[in-house]
Amino acid sequence: MTREGVPIDVVGLTKRFGSVLAVDDISFHVEPGRVTGFLGPNGAGKTTTLRCLLGLVSPTAGSTTIGGRPYRELVDPVGTVGAALEAASFHPGRSARHHLATIARGAGHPERRIDEVLAIVALDTVADRRTGTYSMGMRQRLGLAAALLGDPPVLILDEPGNGLDPAGIAWLRDFLRGLAAEGRTVLMSSHVLSEVQQTVEDVLILAKGRLVRQGLLRELEDPDSRAVLVRTPTPERLRDALRDEGLVETGSADAMIRVTGATSAAVGAAAFKHQVELHELYAEPSDLERTFLELTGGEAQP
Amino acid sequence: MSRLASPPSETAGRPSLGRLVQSELLKIRSTRLWWALLLGAILLVLVQAGFTAAFEGEDQGFGDTSVLPPGDSPELLRTVYTQGFFGGYIFALILGITGLTGEYRYQTITPTFLVAPRRHPVVVAKIIAHLIVGAGYGVACTVAAVVAGGAVLLGKGFDLGLTADGVPRSIAMSVLAMALWTLVGIGVGTLITNQIAAILVGVAVAYIVEPLFGLVLSVIDAESVGKFLPTAASTGLFESFAYGSELLVWWQGGLVLLGYAAVFAGLGILLSVRRDIT
Repeated sequence: MTREGVPIDVVGLTKRFGSVLAVDDISFHVEPGRVTGFLGPNGAGKTTTLRCLLGLVSPTAGSTTIGGRPYRELVDPVGTVGAALEAASFHPGRSARHHLATIARGAGHPERRIDEVLAIVALDTVADRRTGTYSMGMRQRLGLAAALLGDPPVLILDEPGNGLDPAGIAWLRDFLRGLAAEGRTVLMSSHVLSEVQQTVEDVLILAKGRLVRQGLLRELEDPDSRAVLVRTPTPERLRDALRDEGLVETGSADAMIRVTGATSAAVGAAAFKHQVELHELYAEPSDLERTFLELTGGEAQP
Repeated sequence: MSRLASPPSETAGRPSLGRLVQSELLKIRSTRLWWALLLGAILLVLVQAGFTAAFEGEDQGFGDTSVLPPGDSPELLRTVYTQGFFGGYIFALILGITGLTGEYRYQTITPTFLVAPRRHPVVVAKIIAHLIVGAGYGVACTVAAVVAGGAVLLGKGFDLGLTADGVPRSIAMSVLAMALWTLVGIGVGTLITNQIAAILVGVAVAYIVEPLFGLVLSVIDAESVGKFLPTAASTGLFESFAYGSELLVWWQGGLVLLGYAAVFAGLGILLSVRRDIT
């Protein structure tokens, strides 16, 4: 990427719809060259924040800028920011190619770019079909194609993983990381942490209209609470082995022993060294999801 | 991702009015609605023009003022050939209504305003595009009126009379009036963003409320007000047969129609620019 990175800045953003305070005085900075996850349960204010960023909703207070300018003052909006907000913003009777052409034509971007973006999202073979016949995943990909039309340095994607199958999510992860590696700014929202866990580096966590955490995703994980579970027919011999290797047992149930603060490799090595027979050995699932739920008020989301 | 395979042109991305009009024309052209509406309009025009010509010189059964002029009078010719408007304007109105409400209904208003975040150029472009398509409707419907009405008149032994007194102007004005009705539709669509409700209200006002209102006004001897209603103003503009009602002079009728279109289009611009798109 030869262009300079374009950051996103939000300062003191507040949006009130009648008596509902949708976004409550939030400020953040999104760095170019990384994928930033905008997380929070449904109704936390993510979409409203993104719509304020894009000039679709007028803030009650505060400001939002992209590369230092409000969206409405960008010289080339489509060539600066690519946005995919909801997976349904197509006329069901219009083909994907025509949908993209209405955007390219209005923005004055070359129409040969349409074939390029259709190929990127693998919709080139169905481009002339009416979008009403598309699956949810195809709509998501068409939304992404529209966002890429102006080859923009900034991408703003609202729940881009919704409706994608696991293969689609894996593809999206690699694709977005690739875009960020080119120096682009990628801001993607999600209400499902596990969906973005392997995609994003930075996180912004929103709950009830307030920003409750911002920073690196890995800072959200508490390394001290990482645990390995191990099962053995000879628990006493394993305990001796762990003690010798300076590993801490933090609990046991039946033949399962829980070891905190160690990797499964370290526990396995200790057992091997002391010739302890193991029947199971695995790392406890990350408690990131738990932290996320705590931060966002603990309400389980569908 | 392939990096920008196409080098950006100097003006790429600057949404000019000309580009936005092209985009709006493509939006109309790329769904099936425009020709379905046009088809409906043409069918209705064929019937109305055919019957108007067939009943030349005949009493429609409610007194002196209900006798249609004879087939060789310019007034009848103007009436027959402007059935393109009277049969088609409701379809032009619906096209205009869907121009904006369709964007809200299918949420395409989001990409539309992302392309042109200052918004009013988009609405202006929509107005221009609909004027163009509305004029196209006007031409097609007028051709249908001339074909059906002309065939009946020829069959009855009259001349086509396309150059008779006032006929060319009335035909030209009916094309223009058709285009203006799409603007009324755009305005109705901004006032009522629910597409179905907007169409129902638009059609009901044009086909039921306005005629009833006109009738009430004529009963209470207030025709000086009734002649300013949109359909009456159109009749005045075309100098077509009006069952003895008081009409505006043609250019006054034109100005009144222009006024309606300007007010509705202006409302469309003002309201769209402020609204939150959620």
